[in-house]
Amino acid sequence: MKPVPGSAAEISRRQFLEVGLQGGLACVAAPALIERLFASGAPTTAPVSAPVAAARIDRALLERVIKRALGQGGEFAEVYVENRTARNILMEESRFKSAEFGISQGAGVRVIAGDQTGYAYTDELTAGKLLRAAEVASCIARGGAPIKPVGIRPTKRASRVTVKLPLGQVADERRLDVCRRADRAALDFDRRIKLARVSYYDEVRGRTIANSEGLFVTGELPLLYFIVHALSEGKGTRHMGRERISRHSGFEMFDQVAPEQVARSCAREAIAMLEARDAPSGKMDVVMQNGWGGVLVHEAVGHPLEGDSIAKKLGVFTGKLGQQVASPVFTMVDDGSLPNARGTTDFDDEGTPMQRNVLIEDGVLVKYLTDILSARQLGLARTGNGRRESFRYRPIPRMTNTFIDRGHDKPADIVASTRRGIYVQALSGGSVDDVSGMFNFTCREAYLIENGKKTAPVKGATLIGSCLEVIKNIDAVGDDLEFGPGTCGKGQRAEVEVGQPTVRIRGINVGGAAAQG
Amino acid sequence: MNHQPLAQQLVKKCLARGADAAEVFVESARHLSIAIRNGAVETVEEAATAGVGLRVIVGGRLAFAHCNDLRPAALDSAVARAIEFGRVTTADPSNALPRDPGVTAVEGIYDPAIAKVAMASKIDLAQTVEKLAMSDPRIAKSAGANYGEQESEVWLANSNGLAKSYRSSGCGVDVTVVAVKGDLQSPGNESCARRFFGDLLPPAEIAGRAAKKALERLDPRPLKTQRAAVLVDPDVVWPILGGLLAALDGEAVLQGASFLAGQLGRSVASGLLTLVDDGTRPRGLASCPFDGEGVPTQKRTVVAGGVLQGFLYNTIVGQRAGQASTGNAARDGFGSLPGIGAHNFSMSAGATPAADVVKATRRGLWLKEVTGYGIDAVNGNFSGGAAGLWIENGEVAFPVRGLTIAGTAREMLEGIDLVGSEIDLDRHFAAPLFRIREMQIGGE
Repeated sequence: MKPVPGSAAEISRRQFLEVGLQGGLACVAAPALIERLFASGAPTTAPVSAPVAAARIDRALLERVIKRALGQGGEFAEVYVENRTARNILMEESRFKSAEFGISQGAGVRVIAGDQTGYAYTDELTAGKLLRAAEVASCIARGGAPIKPVGIRPTKRASRVTVKLPLGQVADERRLDVCRRADRAALDFDRRIKLARVSYYDEVRGRTIANSEGLFVTGELPLLYFIVHALSEGKGTRHMGRERISRHSGFEMFDQVAPEQVARSCAREAIAMLEARDAPSGKMDVVMQNGWGGVLVHEAVGHPLEGDSIAKKLGVFTGKLGQQVASPVFTMVDDGSLPNARGTTDFDDEGTPMQRNVLIEDGVLVKYLTDILSARQLGLARTGNGRRESFRYRPIPRMTNTFIDRGHDKPADIVASTRRGIYVQALSGGSVDDVSGMFNFTCREAYLIENGKKTAPVKGATLIGSCLEVIKNIDAVGDDLEFGPGTCGKGQRAEVEVGQPTVRIRGINVGGAAAQG
Repeated sequence: MNHQPLAQQLVKKCLARGADAAEVFVESARHLSIAIRNGAVETVEEAATAGVGLRVIVGGRLAFAHCNDLRPAALDSAVARAIEFGRVTTADPSNALPRDPGVTAVEGIYDPAIAKVAMASKIDLAQTVEKLAMSDPRIAKSAGANYGEQESEVWLANSNGLAKSYRSSGCGVDVTVVAVKGDLQSPGNESCARRFFGDLLPPAEIAGRAAKKALERLDPRPLKTQRAAVLVDPDVVWPILGGLLAALDGEAVLQGASFLAGQLGRSVASGLLTLVDDGTRPRGLASCPFDGEGVPTQKRTVVAGGVLQGFLYNTIVGQRAGQASTGNAARDGFGSLPGIGAHNFSMSAGATPAADVVKATRRGLWLKEVTGYGIDAVNGNFSGGAAGLWIENGEVAFPVRGLTIAGTAREMLEGIDLVGSEIDLDRHFAAPLFRIREMQIGGE
């Protein structure tokens, strides 16, 4: 999704080590040179594009490329071929401001030799360019003893994505119509809604992956992402509400969740927050509503459990496998096989099948998230978490659909048994520094809890704390598991879903503009 | 390869297919990145790539297509898709393309030497920076060092007869090391990016700064919730400058989605605040002869002595506002429509040496890290996570972390009461160290 200048950047911005450019993530509207320098993509960042000639690369050519990639040594080589078509429609101020169509294709070749990775990519899917990319990637392994790649053979993967109305068969008018319906519903919600911004995105991404272990998989995935913003004005202030839905599915997504429903939810937030007073500051109890609040575990626990930082012995959970790291009511799962979810795929971007991975079970750390490289380095199994934004990026360990599993508490009881604190209804997003272990979140919509009741709305609440502490302090987990879609940044973007039931965290630092009363 | 003929030919093709106006933006780039950790090369990534962005206006309706396949059949298909989409959007008389054939003379945005420097020297540079950053025994781990470079060339043509191009380069080094004490880990990062390879700072300087940052914040102490002065380090000006930039976006202003709407000519900050957007600075990382749609760049003071002087516009938004484009059409490569963004965006240096800003502070937080989204451009509210150094009686007392800070843009901007005299302009958002009189700080 193209960042809209002036809007908050998409969620889950992680201050990741490889870049470390302070603030680079924040300047969505500024020229991109600095950010691009260390990132692995060249000119484009918009996820885009196309089926012009869904590049047909035959098996014999893939085998030649793999062989060439291992020509200088190395233990593993892989070719990733991708084509993408994307549509992006922006309705703002009740007008269709722009419509964009993107077509992109390319291939990346990777060679692993010990702990080293060589990567090269090309936009041109000709034999010459692919072999050249293989040569460039192979340089990393110079001097090693070459292995003999296994001949590739078609590999079957179970499908996790069902489609009733294929995107390719949907008339543009239907796309425009869902935007109009959302725009109207947002503006009709309340006369204090001054502006609606509706952003519609869909894509079809085709992938072919072959590697020196003999893997050869191919598949095509549709994706829909629908975002509504609504600007409210009143009482001398303004608030921009936001609501999103996203699925790997056909256009039938809009039959399951109506665009009006998305718009009203967003407008409701915008109106509610006009009444908000300054949030208090200091340590207090926090109850987080079910759904997108799951971004808390995505950041605070999920990122530090990714195999790359564990293999580097940097992550705060390094060496803690098998230990009690969280409260016994806490179970956390990453499951890339949930039907049609935004974080779901039929296989990850290395071809590994998706599966349900329980990471923390009743408070005990049982698994890290791995890709092929970190699984080798750690001597662990592959978990299906090797993902990449596009062919311009090498795969790295990423989350898929990450959530706190259902508990036994009733959501109403959790609030009622909290004397004083903050009720977080919606978060914008958060980030984590997995070296220091400090995470933070920005609330979009939050309320005071006074004597066991949700009362006045508060603005400007930031939650901050230590990863290792926060999961020890979760003392109530509801039975109302729900999910929300987002985009995770770790030098490259990944579509993710996060989820949680209503949970309570005891004693977390909340920062607002008001002194604690 | 010169893509100007391709750009002009595609403009003609769009017109022939029914567009009333068309713009073609072609970009080709070469990219290299090297990651080092513990002295060894961890990854090398290399690629060359090219793509086309087509912007068309059909009966006042705007549409866009992009494509990274430069073969005629694929480009034909992209043209057809753009025109097709140009029939469904909403007509707007403001939808227009630039006419100014001029370009601004900007020195030093392309260094032909970068490509000639041997790979081994680039690897050695990153290895040296990492090694030097690890020289203090308290620095027990490295999160790695990176070297990156990019060369790119853009060609822009439109149906008003514009045909422009330029070539640019950039390179940078980045290192993160970790100071360890018991269970505590404190990362320190420093990066240096320049247009010219020869302008990169000496490895020892980059390494020294990264190590200092890791060490100075190693052993944090708890802090009580309170109101106190906040010193904003040049490393963390983005929450403030980024929020201001988003609020200066002419489109947000038109939509009433900016806290600066209606403030033109009024005082919005302390008299010590002056903000400049400069697309012309020699060797500037964000300097270029024309913006993302071909309008010549300029140097503009947007806030002078606290008074708001103007907003940022591209051609279409300027047209809606009855203003000329300010050369701020920002494009994130060939795959994006031009939005609005800044070039080299900086807060001007003041008169107080940085050391004196610290000395003059009886009690305050020297911000070294801020998390969150920065100032909310819509309503000016600010809240974020914070870490840094606590100052007592004009001296650094101890490191602090896990704090929050909050306030409003008005309170923060009007509260600027000391501005440092030293500034490093080779940053995306450049500013000196400055002090905000008082903010709410959340802690224990």
